[in-house]
Parts: sequence; structure tokens; C-alpha cells
Amino acid sequence: MPNLYAITGSFKKQALDFIADPQWIIPSLVAPFTFTLVTLMIYPERDASIVLYAVLGGGILGMWSNSLRASGFSINYDRMVGTLESLMVTPTPLMEVIAGRAIWNALIGLLNSLLVFILAEVVFQTSIRLADPLMFFIALAIILLSLSTIGLFLAAFFVFTRASSVLTQILELPIFIISGAMIPINLMPSWSWPLSFTFGPFWGVDALQIAAGVSSTSPIPVGYAGDLLILFAITAVYLTLTWMLFKKMDGKARESGSLGRY
Amino acid sequence: MGDRVIVAEDLVKCYPRTNGKSGEKKTSKPAVDGVSFEIRKGQIFGLLGPNGAGKTTTIKMLGTLLIPTSGGATVLDHDIVKDYMEIRKRINIISGGDRGLYYRISGRQNLRFFSDLYRIPRRLRDVRIEELLQKVGLEKAADQRVEEYSRGMKQRLHIARGLVNDPDILFLDEPTIGLDPEISREVRGMVRDMSKDGKTLLLTTHNMNEAEELCDDINIIVGGKIVAKGTIAELKEAVRKKSVIEAEVRRMTPDVIEAVHSIDGVLNVACSSDAYRSILRIQVADGQDMVLPIAKRLENCRIIRVSREEPTLEDAYMSMVIGDA
Repeated sequence: MPNLYAITGSFKKQALDFIADPQWIIPSLVAPFTFTLVTLMIYPERDASIVLYAVLGGGILGMWSNSLRASGFSINYDRMVGTLESLMVTPTPLMEVIAGRAIWNALIGLLNSLLVFILAEVVFQTSIRLADPLMFFIALAIILLSLSTIGLFLAAFFVFTRASSVLTQILELPIFIISGAMIPINLMPSWSWPLSFTFGPFWGVDALQIAAGVSSTSPIPVGYAGDLLILFAITAVYLTLTWMLFKKMDGKARESGSLGRY
Repeated sequence: MGDRVIVAEDLVKCYPRTNGKSGEKKTSKPAVDGVSFEIRKGQIFGLLGPNGAGKTTTIKMLGTLLIPTSGGATVLDHDIVKDYMEIRKRINIISGGDRGLYYRISGRQNLRFFSDLYRIPRRLRDVRIEELLQKVGLEKAADQRVEEYSRGMKQRLHIARGLVNDPDILFLDEPTIGLDPEISREVRGMVRDMSKDGKTLLLTTHNMNEAEELCDDINIIVGGKIVAKGTIAELKEAVRKKSVIEAEVRRMTPDVIEAVHSIDGVLNVACSSDAYRSILRIQVADGQDMVLPIAKRLENCRIIRVSREEPTLEDAYMSMVIGDA
């Protein structure tokens, strides 16, 4: 049974850290905001689908960037302040501690996408109308879960390397592109499609687009329910891999004694 | 188990090492090499040794943060490799130094977070945190960010953090390192209180006064091996045959120390100085015969006194660490 005290405690601690350190506003809010702004300004003739792509793209970018950076940096932060060993000596598996943080990180990304939406409505008067708001928010919540799982996976992966900041820089845009959030993947070369298919949020973005009333641009259209089903399945695979990675990490760190190094 | 709560048997730890130039991976020489000891319930057990002796590695193995390369240990009857989650519920580690706390949040928030990792119910958690904050004298600064704390306040918070799960065993890794004498004394008082509360403590230090003041049993570790073990009285007894001569002089230079050290029969020379005087503690094979030759070497240093002294724990330690025992 997971330690819910630890997950909620870790979620709260991450929130407190976030509030205490306003520099996170730049990657979490300012960058996606600027991204959306530029996209909207590029297309003076804004038809509904362009606007939705810009708003969804900005929102998903915020969620993705936040999960990638914050979860990727998560364990390195503990290395830096010397708390990783204090965490490891508790009876709570590190995966549960990081889970609380990853949920917060993805949630902040969600907040960012709401701000992007408000910006589009107020400043650019885009008058976005969602075809099915309920389906839209269900898809958004499941993407949040999927991104949290990816954040967890990355956090475990980055324990093995101290080059996590470099890797987050490298991974940010390519993965954003393969998610199909800003550019329909059928515009991309077909060899890149399998990468998109294995990235859970790609299916989530497709479900979001369907719920928003834009027709699916997926090379394999499976419909809203199909998208969510695949997203769930891929998230379950991520979760299993993450669990295995954390197990391996725990054993390896206890072998090598590298936890305290920064 | 009886009253033995920690049993270490022939513990060995070698770290994997990477060559900085070639990237070649190798195994280091043992950081801990065949360490065995037992700690009884309620004891304050001291592990003394110089930097790099293997004290922290030993604590990390017993604290389940490291897997031994060979040998084994049980903590509260649980194997440190297989049953580490059971052990973690009933132990905690307190380290010295500035690191190991979340500095952007308050002391209270740090304690709440770490309590949650031990599944402590909310009501009990809040009551216990209040008690701990009072015990370590941080109740007024509890809601201040840790980054605003002084070094001493951080160490007090470290101690409170180590007690959030009310552990049976506490590993204290140089808890007074870098603290001024007043705060060090406070921390030693807290360590004594933990012992009075029935906790078993394993303390690493290279502060002899601290060890002498606190520890029931001491093991001295050098180069990963235990070179001496016993009570403070037993360790002093082991060096009693080697007398100590103490010389107080007005002026001291490295040449003079070297000259004293070169006298036949002198085993070790330790010097401490302030603005007005220097005190040399000289371990010799036979104190009676050595006073005169030592005084002769010091004649240009304006001698205040030369006397024969009882060996202290520090003399015993120096003798064993340097290898003249």
C-alpha cells in the first residue's frame, strides 16, 4: 500500500518550494505564454483550428516543460542540498516521494494551460468554444496523470546521471514536437510516427482535439475513447518501467554509495 | 537478540571508482575492512577515527544506505541487506554540517515533511513536532525559513529531524562538526538526553573530549580497520605504560618540535598554542628517563614547566592512530 502521507506531504512540500522560489515562473508560465503569443501573432488570419493548436500547444508545452524540468531536477535538487540520504533512510520508497512532486509539477503545468487559454480569450479574443468541455477536461486530467508518470520515470532515470540539466534541454522540444500538440504529426516524416505512438500524451492530445471539436489528425484515428484507452495502457507501461527503474536505482545507489555526491 | 541491538560481523565495503582520465572503472581498496562490533541497548557507542578512516561508511552500512561488499550486520535483529525497510522504521541518522535540510521552507515544514515519510498520523505528528522544537530550542524560529538559520540552529533542526520517528537507534555522524564550543556543549547535552530517553546511539567523532564525555564504549578505526576497542578506562590503560610528558613554553617553533620528536624513545608529539604559550604533549616509552633530555631540547623556548601527566583518551587515540601502540 503506497504511503499516502508521503505522497501528499511531498506534494505540499513541492508546492511550498515552488512558492518560495519564484524563478520557476519563467519556465512554467512565461515560456509557454510567450510560445502561444508568438504562434497567435504568426497567423493573423486565425481560423478556429489554428487558434486551438496554439492554445493547446502552449498549454501542453507548459505541462511537459514543467514535468521534464521539475521532475528531472527533483533528485538533483536533493543531491545539491544533501537531503537525498535523509530521504533514503526513511521507510518510504523514493518513488512515492517523487510521485507527490511529479503530480504537483504536472498540476502547475495545467494551471499554465488555463492561463494560456485566458490569454487567448482576453488578449487575442479568440472565442474558443469547446465542443465537449467535460470530455476535454477528462482528457486533460488523464494527460496530467500520464505526464506525472513520465516525470517520475525521468526522475528515476536522472538519478543515474548528473547531466540531467543537459538532458532536459535536449529532450524538451523534440518530445514536444512528437506529441503532436503544436504540429499535426501527419505533417512530419512517417519514420517519426512510431516515436509519437509510444509517447502517451500524443494520444491525449488527439483526445483533447476531438473533445475541442477539431478533427483528429492522427495517422491512426481511433476516436476519443480509443485515444484514452491507449493513453491508459501506455501510462501503465511507463509506471511499470518507472517502478523497475526505481528498484534498480535503489540497489545501485546502495552498492555504489553515490547518493551523497553532487 | 538479548540486549544486543547492533551486531556487525566482518563488514567490508569497497567503492567502485572511476579513473578521471581514462574513465576506467575499478574497485577501491576497502574503505571499511573487516569491522566487527556489538552495541547493547541504551549504550552510547563511539566510533573514533581520523578523516577517511571509514566511520561514515560504517554508519551508512548499518543505516541501510550502503550494501556491504562482504560480511554482514543485524540491526534490531534485522539483516541490513534483506530487511532494510523494517530497520528504517526504527532508526534515524543525524549528520553534522550545513547540508541535509530543505532551506527554502521553514524548520517546522521540514519536520512535517520528514514525519510524513514515516506515516506518522497528523495529530501525533503535530504534537511531537511541538515537543521536539521545544526540546531543541527552536520553537521561536520554527516558522522561519531554514536558509535564515545560523549553523547552530541548523544542527538543532538536524537533531529534531532525526527524532521525528522516535527511533530506537540513532546514528550520529560527527554531530558537532564546525560548531562553536557553546553550541557543541548544547548538542552534547541533547545527545545525553536522547540516551536518558532509552535510545541507543552510535556516535562518530574525532573530538576526544566529546567521546570521553559521552561514550560508554569506544572503537577506534583507522584505515578501515578497528585498531582498538574498549571503555575509556581500558583504552587509557592500554597506553599507561607509555608516559606522557607535558611541557609548557613561551616560544615554540616547528624545528623544536622536530628536535623533540627525534629524541630516542619519543613516540609522538602534539602541540597546541595560543598567543602567549605553547603546550607540548609528548608520549614517551619511559617518562622518568625522558624529562631531562626533553627539557634540554626546549632550553631556548623559555620553559614555564615540564611535568609528567596521566595519559588522556586523546593520547590513547593518537598512539593508536599513529600506530605506535
